[in-house]
Amino acid sequence: MNQTGLVNHVMNIRGKSHLLADDINTDIHCSSKYHPGRDNAYVAQHAFEQISPGFAARFARGGVIVAGKNFGNNSSREQAVHILRLMGVAGIVAVSFGRQFFRNCINNGMPAVECSISGIAPDDEIELDLAAGRVAVPARGLAREVPPLPAEVQAILAAGGLIPFLKVHPDWKTPVSGEQ
Amino acid sequence: MGSTIAEKIFSSHSGRPANAGDVVVATVDFAMLHDARATNALKRIEQLGAGNKEFALPFASRTAFVADHYSPPPHQEAANIHREMRAFADKYGVVLYDVGEGICHQVLPEGGHFTCGDLVTGTDTHSTTYGAFNAFGTGVEGTDLSAVMMTGKLWFRVPETIRVDLKGRLQPGVWAKDLTLHMLGRLGAEGANYRAIEYAGSAVAAMEIDDRMTLSNHAAELGAKAALLEADEKTIAWLKAHGAREPRPVAADPDARYCERFEIDASRLPPQVARKHRVDDVVGVPEVKGQRIHYALIGTCTNGRLDDIRQAAAILKGRRIAKGVRMIITPASRNVYLQAAREGLIEALTAAGASVEAAGCGTCVNITGHLITGDGDVVITSANRNFKGRLGNANSEIFIGSAATVAASALTGQITDPRTVEGGEWRPISKAA
Repeated sequence: MNQTGLVNHVMNIRGKSHLLADDINTDIHCSSKYHPGRDNAYVAQHAFEQISPGFAARFARGGVIVAGKNFGNNSSREQAVHILRLMGVAGIVAVSFGRQFFRNCINNGMPAVECSISGIAPDDEIELDLAAGRVAVPARGLAREVPPLPAEVQAILAAGGLIPFLKVHPDWKTPVSGEQ
Repeated sequence: MGSTIAEKIFSSHSGRPANAGDVVVATVDFAMLHDARATNALKRIEQLGAGNKEFALPFASRTAFVADHYSPPPHQEAANIHREMRAFADKYGVVLYDVGEGICHQVLPEGGHFTCGDLVTGTDTHSTTYGAFNAFGTGVEGTDLSAVMMTGKLWFRVPETIRVDLKGRLQPGVWAKDLTLHMLGRLGAEGANYRAIEYAGSAVAAMEIDDRMTLSNHAAELGAKAALLEADEKTIAWLKAHGAREPRPVAADPDARYCERFEIDASRLPPQVARKHRVDDVVGVPEVKGQRIHYALIGTCTNGRLDDIRQAAAILKGRRIAKGVRMIITPASRNVYLQAAREGLIEALTAAGASVEAAGCGTCVNITGHLITGDGDVVITSANRNFKGRLGNANSEIFIGSAATVAASALTGQITDPRTVEGGEWRPISKAA
């Protein structure tokens, strides 16, 4: 299922933080790998259950996942991102990401930013500015500069993912990438 | 400042100077999709074409579909995925490797689908294998594949590179598998996440192509985005013999910038094993000597090639595997199977008590329908992963070692250093020497 339209594809995100630990394998905790035959809706209701009981029930649409290092490590299943979108995850801030998981995020219009998460607590109101490269929790006076996402990646996110992007730019040419 | 192999390949494929950290849109020379990712990928392609009457996949002929994970299919869902893949391949002109033809990472090079300096994507983490041929091979997912089939291009972040200089030469009975396990013990699983590895040095030059493929393949366990080797006369002869396009070797500049660089003296390395349930819990074989085993497996994209089967036969020919051990061999491809048959290896191994099964991913993971282990079963395998429950039972444990270590262990019934058994120091004769 294409989940396009469930989140706003904007470069500025504001939402409540939901914390997860280091080294979360999204194949195990957010896919049907261990729920054979179950659909995305079922998995979404049980996502991260074993490592954070009640996570999916607590998660309100528009929230931001704040995770430790290697979020999505060793997990190549694109389905994990489809499930996160179904849950209404607006963006992910993590110390670092598994390589393929990060690709899958961008390709499916899920903003993903690498940043230190120290000092961020559950339910903090967190702001992400993807174009400027800024992660902030104003209530705690916390503002961190991060490398802005490259223009090519921003263009894919702004379109809502790679498939909607290619429908508009079948030759990959965009005003920002300016490919000669 | 000079460039790494990865930077040079991304520069030539994006038409601009590409440095580590840059994001580029690059031309992809060949793409692969296997059956375990086909359901998602075909859905994505359908979404891409939805509502577009003129939808075409101009790069379909530069794509291969491979039915290897479910070979033969263990349930009707898998059989139906194969039907869908066949119909799609037929409609769009995709190259198809059907059930029994072999594992994607073996059939792609055997089919001559890419050459030195190429950029190749596959829907599998072990797509790093193509680096053995000096091609940038990397794992992607279904959306990526659909983009490549439609546009011939994909976005990439140009990786930083770790340079590993392998000095000396591996001793007889010690293989690229042992080297990689040693690297896993040193860097940890995911120790090369986001990054490419360049392997160079006299120990790589001394390796035959089969072993080099293990080196690049197994770098996936290190989290590497690619694992690149420079091309030499062995590489070029192999590619030409398999009908690949004219090789355009890409070498790193002497002043290339690496994020990390170290040396390993290959000649001092003993055979290694990874213990339950972590690929990076690695010790020398002597440390687990005597550990009883119940299953001995040789196969998978990591170590199911001809030299692995030759090594096993060198140990087991004219002998019997130990009582209480089940040995299963799955050749990496039908070509490997056929050549092993011609050399009498299948006969020797079958007579020794092994079962040789269809070419494919068979013995790697229980989604293939193979090998549901019993409680307490101990497995030694030449595969690449030993996660808990990977062979169908969380109460069994898996050791990873070279085909030589697996065959020596099958012979004695306990984990055994291949250098201590007759034939365990077999080594291929270099054709290029």
